[in-house]
Amino acid sequence: MRETLSDKVIRSHALNGTGQEDYVHARIDALLGHDATIALLINEFERRQLSIWDKSKVIFTNDHFSPAASIERADISANFLRFSRNQKIDHLLVDKGICHQLLVENSLCQPGSLIVGADSHTIMGGGLGACATGMGSTDILFALATGTTWLRKPKTIRVIFHGSLPETCSGRDIILELLRLLGEDGAQYRCLEFHDHAQPKLSQDDRFAIANMAVEIGAKFGVFVPDEITLAYCHARDQQTPGNLVLPDADADYEYTLELDLSELSPRIAKPWSPANVVALSELDSIPISTAFLGSCSSGRIEDIQEAAEELEGKTIHPDVRLIIIPASINIFKQALDKGYVKILTEAGAIFNQSSCGPCGGIDKGVLGSTDVCISTSNRNFRGRMGHWDSRTYLASARTVARAALKGCISGDLYS
Amino acid sequence: MNSIQGSVWLFGDNLNTDVIHPPNCYSLDPVVVKQGLFSKLDATLQSRLKPGDILVGGKNFGCGSSRETSIRSLLLNEIGAIVAVDFARIFFRNATNNGLPCLQFANAEDKQKLAEGETWTISFDDWTLTGKTGLTIPLVPAGSFVRKIWSEGGLLNLLPASAEDA
Repeated sequence: MRETLSDKVIRSHALNGTGQEDYVHARIDALLGHDATIALLINEFERRQLSIWDKSKVIFTNDHFSPAASIERADISANFLRFSRNQKIDHLLVDKGICHQLLVENSLCQPGSLIVGADSHTIMGGGLGACATGMGSTDILFALATGTTWLRKPKTIRVIFHGSLPETCSGRDIILELLRLLGEDGAQYRCLEFHDHAQPKLSQDDRFAIANMAVEIGAKFGVFVPDEITLAYCHARDQQTPGNLVLPDADADYEYTLELDLSELSPRIAKPWSPANVVALSELDSIPISTAFLGSCSSGRIEDIQEAAEELEGKTIHPDVRLIIIPASINIFKQALDKGYVKILTEAGAIFNQSSCGPCGGIDKGVLGSTDVCISTSNRNFRGRMGHWDSRTYLASARTVARAALKGCISGDLYS
Repeated sequence: MNSIQGSVWLFGDNLNTDVIHPPNCYSLDPVVVKQGLFSKLDATLQSRLKPGDILVGGKNFGCGSSRETSIRSLLLNEIGAIVAVDFARIFFRNATNNGLPCLQFANAEDKQKLAEGETWTISFDDWTLTGKTGLTIPLVPAGSFVRKIWSEGGLLNLLPASAEDA
């Protein structure tokens, strides 16, 4: 059949015809939502007296306003929780972390599944081989009521990783390099299908970071071909191994193939105001910073916090810098506590905030003022996103964020 | 809906949703949502928009967040349509689902033929953009599924009458 991974997932979920039409009506396996975007559909859902197609397949969390910082958001949050409890959502995870991290911590996120979510970074489920994609509230209302959605079958770009990732680099540097190569629209309407032939293979946390930001390249899906790393993660999570894995055909029909030798990679950084405005960190002159942010669904996982702890153990961050750390979920926060990273980083001068989206979307504690310059592990440095229109955000890995917090600046010699 | 006439407002490539509608303007209050449109890019722009105006963009219009507050704001400001070289997929779905037409230039370079403030007319019969001078620019005809959503008045009107029909 010469099918890619997403071709197979869409065909196996298609409700009408062969799955070859322009738009396919497909059933979904799970639905993800959070306070800020579900709040936009509650009135219409209740006005139409709809009911949820399958409460066991819905994951909701309050990650944007957790806890709320204004009266209006407290009211929005309360209404979201009222709706979720009235609807008896099986997976209502209150104050437990960022929805995308909670999705991949949930056994609903299986390789080969089709998942929609009311947030663009839902695509991160692709780190486990799921075809997961973000949509707006109207699409999500339709999916919540019917368990179905409309999809256009995307073309697929195959991305093959070779070589060995340098110790100074992580998945963040890989996805920033892909953004440099492909631009903000290089995978528009497409599936990015990642084949990990690296030695050693990329960690699951690196894969989540890569899949998460596939949407910054415009992708509909950013999906890793599942392998032993995927199986080990799912087994540890579910106490059982996924069944038949959906794999692309050996002769699948790709738009083209991009091969990346990870051995050649060095730390990358995205300059304001585009995640695709990427250069090698070593090319930069010294840029003083006021804020360092380690968090968001793009990072904030245990390996990111570990990298920061390795860099900052026994040291003190620069006195002009505020280092904000937000573990992506409460589970990750507990791991960081158990491993001693919270103590190491707190003693180095970092502050830990509640697992939530935080300042990434410019809506919660840590937003930037007009003169702030921030280095961040988040996924978007669009102008004004993290706060004031004149603030400036650079995107990098957790290790680079920690080194910059220590030195008080971003500079080309952070790794020399 | 056979035609839309309005003044055009020109934007560049990769106009993201955080610029279209800044996240600090997220609200359920229609006044806040309406006034937030482009508020950081140009604080005076929203008040100068008129019903039926047409936004004209470059590549990858609407990239970024899925928050539909950006679409709500465009609708509250009664934007008639958006014409661009191409659209980010979530934005295109959100706009289409809510009946806001997103149309592509048939030839990307035709964007250069428009100047800010000019009056242009979109014809949904022959998929063209026509200026006061009579210059006509071809657009890509919308697909049948998109037209069906428009004609039904939005995606939610395609909901089956009951969950059992789904």
